[in-house]
Order: sequence, then C-alpha cells, then structure tokens
Amino acid sequence: MNKIMYLEFERCIGCRACQAACRECGDHDAKERNYVEHVDFMESRQTFPMMCMQCKDPACARVCPANAIQITEEGVVLSASEEKCIGCRNCTFGCPFGIPKFDFEQNKMYKCDMCYDRSKHDIAPMCASVCPSDAIRFIDFDEMQSLRRRRTQMNLVEGKKPTEQDKWKYVPEFFGVYSD
Amino acid sequence: MTEFIAKPGVKNLKHEGEKLITTHCSYCGMQCGMHIRVSEKTGKIKGVEPRYDWPVTLGKLCPKGVTAYQQIDHPDRIKRPLIKKKGRFVESSWEEALSLIEKKFTELQDKHGKDSLSVFGGVSMTNEKCYLVGKYARVALGTRFLDYNGRFCMSSAAGGFMKTFGMDRGSTLPWTELEHSDCFLIAGSNTAECHPTSIQMFWKARDKGAKMIVVDPRETPTARIADVHLDLLPGTDSALANGLLHLLIKEDFVDKEYVENRCNNFEELKASVEPFTPEYTSQLTGVDKNKIIKAARIYGSSPRSVVMFARGVEQQSKGVDNVTLYTSLALLRGQIGKFASGVATFTGQGNGQGGREHGQKSDLLPGYRKITDPEAVKYISGVWGIDPEEMPKAGVSAFEMFDEIHKGTIRAMHVVCSNPAVSAPDAEYVWEAFKKLDFLVVNDFFLSETAEFADVVLPTTTWAEDEGTTTNLEGRVIRIRKSIEPLHESKTDWQIFKEIAARLGKGKHFDYSSPREIFEEFRLATKGGKADYSGITYERIDKEDGVFWPCPSEDHPGTPTVFKETFATPNGKANLPAVSWQEPDETPSEEFPIRLTTGRVVFHYLSGNQTRRIDFLMEQCPVPFAEMHPELASRYNMQDGEKIRVTTPRSTMELEVRLTKATRNDIIFVPYHWGKELAVNKLTNAALDPTSRMPEFKVCAARIEKLEQKAGH
Ligand code: SF4
Ligand code: SF4
Repeated sequence: MNKIMYLEFERCIGCRACQAACRECGDHDAKERNYVEHVDFMESRQTFPMMCMQCKDPACARVCPANAIQITEEGVVLSASEEKCIGCRNCTFGCPFGIPKFDFEQNKMYKCDMCYDRSKHDIAPMCASVCPSDAIRFIDFDEMQSLRRRRTQMNLVEGKKPTEQDKWKYVPEFFGVYSD
Repeated sequence: MTEFIAKPGVKNLKHEGEKLITTHCSYCGMQCGMHIRVSEKTGKIKGVEPRYDWPVTLGKLCPKGVTAYQQIDHPDRIKRPLIKKKGRFVESSWEEALSLIEKKFTELQDKHGKDSLSVFGGVSMTNEKCYLVGKYARVALGTRFLDYNGRFCMSSAAGGFMKTFGMDRGSTLPWTELEHSDCFLIAGSNTAECHPTSIQMFWKARDKGAKMIVVDPRETPTARIADVHLDLLPGTDSALANGLLHLLIKEDFVDKEYVENRCNNFEELKASVEPFTPEYTSQLTGVDKNKIIKAARIYGSSPRSVVMFARGVEQQSKGVDNVTLYTSLALLRGQIGKFASGVATFTGQGNGQGGREHGQKSDLLPGYRKITDPEAVKYISGVWGIDPEEMPKAGVSAFEMFDEIHKGTIRAMHVVCSNPAVSAPDAEYVWEAFKKLDFLVVNDFFLSETAEFADVVLPTTTWAEDEGTTTNLEGRVIRIRKSIEPLHESKTDWQIFKEIAARLGKGKHFDYSSPREIFEEFRLATKGGKADYSGITYERIDKEDGVFWPCPSEDHPGTPTVFKETFATPNGKANLPAVSWQEPDETPSEEFPIRLTTGRVVFHYLSGNQTRRIDFLMEQCPVPFAEMHPELASRYNMQDGEKIRVTTPRSTMELEVRLTKATRNDIIFVPYHWGKELAVNKLTNAALDPTSRMPEFKVCAARIEKLEQKAGH
C-alpha cells in the first residue's frame, strides 16, 4: 500500500457522509471513528474533517501499557486489540490530535484503522470513498506531492493569505496522512 | 440478468458470503450509484458499497445515501394492511383492505360521480410506477382529479422551461461536462446540503480556474467559497435576474448572432430590463450594487457558463418568471446546446424528472403530452385500450385538490408515495381537508403523518424491493434493481393498482406481471411525445451507463445535450420573457416584520418520513430550528439555543434559536422536514404561481417573540 489519506479541509461541506460511512466499515461495530467540526459556526459554515494521522511513531501506541495498539506492516495504526486493551485511556490523552475514542460501556478504546479490511487491498476507506466533496481522498503519494505543489502555486497567484482579522475563514488546507 | 455491474479494473470489497446488487440511491435527483450488500444465504440486507465507476457520482454518497439501505429492513415498516376501526389502526388481510376500498370507491362514485375520487401521486418512485399512477387514476378510477407532489418541487422549473424552450428537460447538458465549465451561476440552491455529490464537479472546475456566483440569502457552504455571493432578500429573484440581464445588454456581453438566430422577443426583453439599473436592482434585492456588477461581468465574460437553480427561485408565486429570467441569462450569452454550458435545475426528488413527464400531472399524458390535445388523447387511449371519450378532462393542481375537498367535490383520496401533511404549505388547512374526506387510502412503507389520517394504509415496498427505471436530474434514464423480495406482506404500488383496478372491473387494462412489462407499454406510450423513451431498453441502460431522452428508436444514441440546433417551440426559437417587478405575495408589515424562508438540511429528505427513522441522521439533526443572524436576535434579546415563538398570519410554533453570521440579518430560516407541531409548513403561504401552481414556500412574513420565562426555568 503506497496510498495517502489526503485531507483538504477547506473543501469540507459538513455533510458528515464520512462519519455515516465510517459506521459502515465491516470492522467498525457501527461506531464512527472520525470527526467533523465547525471551525466556528457563529462566524461561518466552514467545517473540517479530522481523523487518525496514522503517525509513524504513534503516541497512542507508545503510551499504551498493555501494548494493545498494533501497527501493521503497511504502517496502519490499528484500533486497540479487544483482548489486550485494559481501558486505562492513556492513548486518548497521549494522542496529540485527540483521535482515539473511548467506549465507557465496554471499557475500551476504539479508533480509525483506515478501514484496514479495505485499504489492505488498496480499496479506499469508506470515508474517502463517499466524501462528496473530495475533502478526504485516498491517493498515491506522488499525486499528493503534485497537489501540494499546485496548491502553493495557486495561493501565490491568488494572493490568499489569512490575516488576524479573517483567519476564521481559513483552515489548514490539506494534510497528508500516509504510511510506508 | 446481471445484478452486479462493474467496469474492468474497478475494485470493490466483497465480503464473504455476500453479493452486491448494483443500483442507485432512493432519495434525491442525483440518483447516486451504489451497490447494496446482500447476504447470499439469508437474503438479508447487509449494507452499502460505493459504486466507484458510476460516471456521474463516482462512488460518492451523502449521509442519506450511505444510510439509505437502513430503511429496508427497518422495525417501523408497516407489515400488513391497516384499517382504521373506531379511530385506531387494526392490522388486517389484503382481502379485507381491498374489499373495503372497492366498496367505498364504488359507493362514492355511484353517489357523487366519478370525480368524487382523487389520486395524489409522487415522484420518489420508478417511471414504471409514476406512469401507472396516471393510468390508474384515469382508467381504473376514471377521475379527473389527479396530481402529484412535483407541484411542491419541480413544477416551476417545468413551467419555465416549457415556456422558454417548449420542452422541459431539467438539464440541457450532461453533468459529466460540468468540470469543463468556466463559470457557474447558482441561484436558490443550497447545493452542498441538497445535492452534495454534485460538489465534486464544481470543485474540479474550480481547480481549473472556474468562477462561481451564488445567489442565496444565506451564506451556504457553496456561497462561502463563491467568487461573488449575491445575498438577496428572499422573494426578489426576478429583480436580481432582470438586473443581471440589464447589465449583460448594457455592457455588451450579448451573443448577438445566437440571439438573432435562436431567440424570439429580444426587443421586448430589452425594454423590460431597461429600468433594472444596478441601483434600482440593489434597492429591490438588498444586494450591494458592486456585487451585482461584478457578478454580471464574471458571468458575461466567461466563455462557457452554466446557470443552475433550484427550489429557492422556483418555490415562489413568481417561480416560473424567475426560471424564465435566469434561463435567459444563458440564452443571451448563447450558451444553450453547447459543450459544458447551458442551464439546469437541481431536481429534488429521485425521479422528479421522469415522474413529471408521464401523466401524473393534472393536465399531462405520458410522453409529456397535453391532455387538452385531442390527438394526444386519441393516441394514449389507443395504447391504454379505452375509448377517447372515456378519457377524463384535466383536473386541478395538487394544492387546489385540498380546496376541492373543502368544497366537497372530492370525497376520497388515494395518496401514493407522498406525505402532503408535511410537505404542503398552510398545513393546518391541509390537515382539515384530510379530516373532511369520507375515505382516505395511503400507500406507504412507514406510517407517515398523512397515513395517520387514513382509513386504510396499504404497505408498499421500498425502492430496493422492486425493479424499474428512474430519470436522474440530467435526463439520464437509469436502472433501479431489486435487492430483495418484498418484506412482510408488502406489495409494490403497481401490484396494488392492478388489484384495485381488477376489483373495479378494469383488470384487463392492468394485466402486468413485472415492471418490465409496464416499461414496454410505457415506451410505446411515450413514442412520438416530447419526452420520448421508446428507444430505451433495460439492456441499453446497463450497457451505456444510462440513456438520455429523447431517444426515439433503439438505434438512436439518446440526447445528452439538448437544443443543439433548435428549440422545441413552434418556430424553433427560444422565447425570451419580459417580466416586470412584483413583490412576493406577502411582504413584511408592522405586525409581521420579518421574512421567513424555509429549506432543507443535508440529513433529511423531503417530509422526513424516511430519514427521521434513521439513527445516524436523527442524531445529527433531530428537530427543526430557527436560524438567524446575531444582530437580529440581539434586537429581540434572544440567545443562542433559546426557545422562541414564530408566528405568521396562518399559525404559530415554537423553535430553538440557532445563531450564525452566515446569513442575512433580516430573515429567519427554518428547515421543513418535520410534521405536526414541528411543521414549519403550518406557517408557510399557499399563494400559487399562476402557471405552475407552485406554492410560495420560500417567503412569507413572520413575527418572532421571546417566550415568557417560567419561574424555576
Ligand atoms: S464527507 Fe467530506 S465533505 Fe462531508 S463532512 Fe466528511 S469530509 Fe466534510
Ligand atoms: S440523497 Fe442524493 S446526493 Fe445523497 S446519496 Fe442519495 S442521490 Fe446522492
């Protein structure tokens, strides 16, 4: 798998199809693992999706005393293994992005696994498949690099730069999440 | 028949022990492609799989589409026919329910004449069924009172296109071309929430530098990224469009050769837009005049542009005028009938396009034929095997049927695939009408607010339990596949028509054993009409990724782009309008100082009878709200989240305040997907457009009040 989860935050239209779709993934127990938030609804309808960054050296796995969070050979950071998770919630505090969720009834954490049953076959995760706005994409590394270069160029051409006065209109424009 | 279609090289996840059935979403006019996951062993529905290779939507779905399958095996499904006895529904057999219908219908018609019965149709179902609704009303029941919920949805677009082009196809171009356009002028469409999967096309075009002009009182997600956002007052579209036309002419953006060769009435139009200077337009619409000028210049100088609109401009008492004016922008620029340019309406209901063409409308017969045309009556009577004399005359529009009930002309109604108790304006008047009926039959798979008024409720199948075709918002005819056998004791609408017809002695006209047989007859019925489907077959749809009508023969390729050479008017030229300014039916007064506008949210579909039962969607948006600008709220000392009272001349309701600066500071917006005390349609105005008979959902005058604080709260 040489694929990237590519997020273009400003494209998000807040439809939450990605969250509905997350529940549909076979291994997800009908619970979504991604987030969609308003930047500030009072000011604008801008929303943005947030999901696991699939870190290279993931804090969640590092702080887990039970070694419950496994990393696949492709570099996907899986949800905690049910048998191993002791429900200490270290991972939820350790993650710098606030991604792992906690199921208080079952006393265990759950998180995005990039729909591993799909992505291991190079099939796009559910969120990236359905996102009608292409705010979440599952693309090749090279495509990501060219998109990033183009975006910088566009911003220079159009002179779009947030200022202190209107920065709420802007959100970071992209974020590539990738594994090896 | 192949159930699963995928192009070579496309990967889908196939779970073990499951099969995939290729179909489309049940909801809006985008008709997004999807596969439904079905267990091979138990035949149960398992979920959804994206259809990456459907060329229009490429696997994308909105949250309604993702969860659509959850309607099918839903605990709320009506399992057996329901008969109301002593005010309560009692489950019964089909035999009992149908016998009761036969008895009541016959009695009423004997006593009060044929037209004492009526049929209220809908277009969230296949062409086969929509076609049969008209035949059922006219042949089986023999009544002239037939109309459908497209009057609350598409009829102004239809009326405007008929007037201008002489033919009503919702989009003049295939949407796969949109990514090549240079400019979109989108009016009265909250595209990101109502047709979310079309957004990908706008983004692609924008990545190549396309411009976007969005006309909407609210700063919707699309308005937010527009190059110009024309934030007009609700109900002032005709002024704005006239103002833009004025500037196109004044600043010399008119394609003179095109207008000369392909349009009628240019001089009249020119004279009528003359007064609409940017200053005057700005004064009427409340939009800054510089923005109007900027928009006209961007639109006027774009080589390829598409004008698009939706309910925002159509659901007004001037809906048809608005449509003709916006359409004229494209005509003056010479855009119609060419690559990646043209005009389109965002069709609301799944089969809003196909369903309105084939005789569910009070004055239409299949193939978009006029019931007032004796030749059309003769032809269709031939197809149906009846004497032309027997063909009922034109009836009245959907909302006017409720007037007929109040007058006592209509005594019974059969509602199919619709929930007017939520979707009709001035709802309390409509509820009174339902109570007044001697007999009400409703076909549905969930007990809708309308069904609650019924004497008999017949359980129908969902879209996934029957075969058929729909026509998406491009005019592309596509296939809906059966994923599972009908659940419980439900029957398809066409089977229900067939059985009632048989009991009324008209069985020989409804002798179908499958949707395909209906489709074959339907093809014949459309032959030679404006919406000609006669060359379309189920096999061609599969092979060709759908077929665009008109398609008059099996060797005809279909018509992705219409009006390439001529328009469908008598002299082949498009008719430009001349429309003067007129206020909405109801304008703010001292007593009702604010404009109320209504609309949709992404999580619900139409009257919400389906989506209000889906957990994910209800978690996101369980109740309606009153959205307003903090500046307006501040005038009334209202806080975010507070309950307030909203009142119009018709009724009153309580709603929670939701504040955002992403809207005008002089309007309130309420979404309409709920019934009973949560129905904003209690408040809306039923003023009808003179041509399309579309009610003015989009603007009325309202008053807002703080609720008294109760002690201890
Ligand atoms: S599906 Fe896409 S557009 Fe919709 S909320 Fe998720 S990221 Fe945003
Ligand atoms: S509701 Fe419309 S946009 Fe959403 S998935 Fe269904 S057809 Fe597509």
